[in-house]
Amino acid sequence: MTTVVDVFIAFCVLSGSLLVLVSALAMFRAKDALSRINVFSPATGLGMPLVVLGCYAYTLQQEGFSVYRLLIAIIAFFSLIIVSSIASNTLSRSTLLSGSPVHRYTRPNRLAYAQGEDPREDGAAGGRGFGDAQGETQGDAQDDDDPTAS
Amino acid sequence: MVNPLRLIGYFLWIGKEIVSGTVDIVVALITPRGYSSPMIVQLPLRCTTDLEIAMFASSITITPGTLVAAIAASDGAEDPPTLFVHALFSDSEEEAMDGLYDMEARLLTAMRGKPPRPAVEVFGSGAS
Repeated sequence: MTTVVDVFIAFCVLSGSLLVLVSALAMFRAKDALSRINVFSPATGLGMPLVVLGCYAYTLQQEGFSVYRLLIAIIAFFSLIIVSSIASNTLSRSTLLSGSPVHRYTRPNRLAYAQGEDPREDGAAGGRGFGDAQGETQGDAQDDDDPTAS
Repeated sequence: MVNPLRLIGYFLWIGKEIVSGTVDIVVALITPRGYSSPMIVQLPLRCTTDLEIAMFASSITITPGTLVAAIAASDGAEDPPTLFVHALFSDSEEEAMDGLYDMEARLLTAMRGKPPRPAVEVFGSGAS
């Protein structure tokens, strides 16, 4: 029985920490700020709760049941998930408002269209960012037929 | 009318979605062109109250691979509240919108006790 519990604890803690590592590596490979925020959610949404679960099972095995510890574990588990989603929302919103460019392969980019940045729905410049990103991405748009671009 | 059993079922379903989205991100990490087809889709909502919109936005963001980038409030009778969702692993805009509308239908079924009208009916065929 203790072996099963040990394997369970090891699985939770190791897979949780591996997920944090995977998210960190994925952030290196993602192309723009929004994608980096996006690929980070496995760490906070699944990795950290798994570590909390493993730690709670460990203290349960070592020190026995306690309502206080159970309460802490449950609050930590759900707080991590809720805070992760709200923090990601806030981060992505501030990223966009700061004018950070989105990757040029972001297609379709309905947000640029809704802000009046690009009147065409999803033409060649569909991946154009906001504000000062315009000059930066013009050289990269492959078949840009916009007369002002060249 | 909130249906507690359905709400618990919805949270379990969100847990399943978190796991499958995590698998997507891990798979994309080891494929050569993993994260190179992001898109931002415009999603008019059937949610009406602030609680429904906040819960839906949080559910989208907590699912790995989708992220709420901006929220446009409803400005009267015609324009519904609208989310702009950054999606990483969808093949097409239709596929991304179908997945998000499926999640919205599950949430509204749990929150209201009855399923909402289909998105195609509410927003016309252009919406989905």
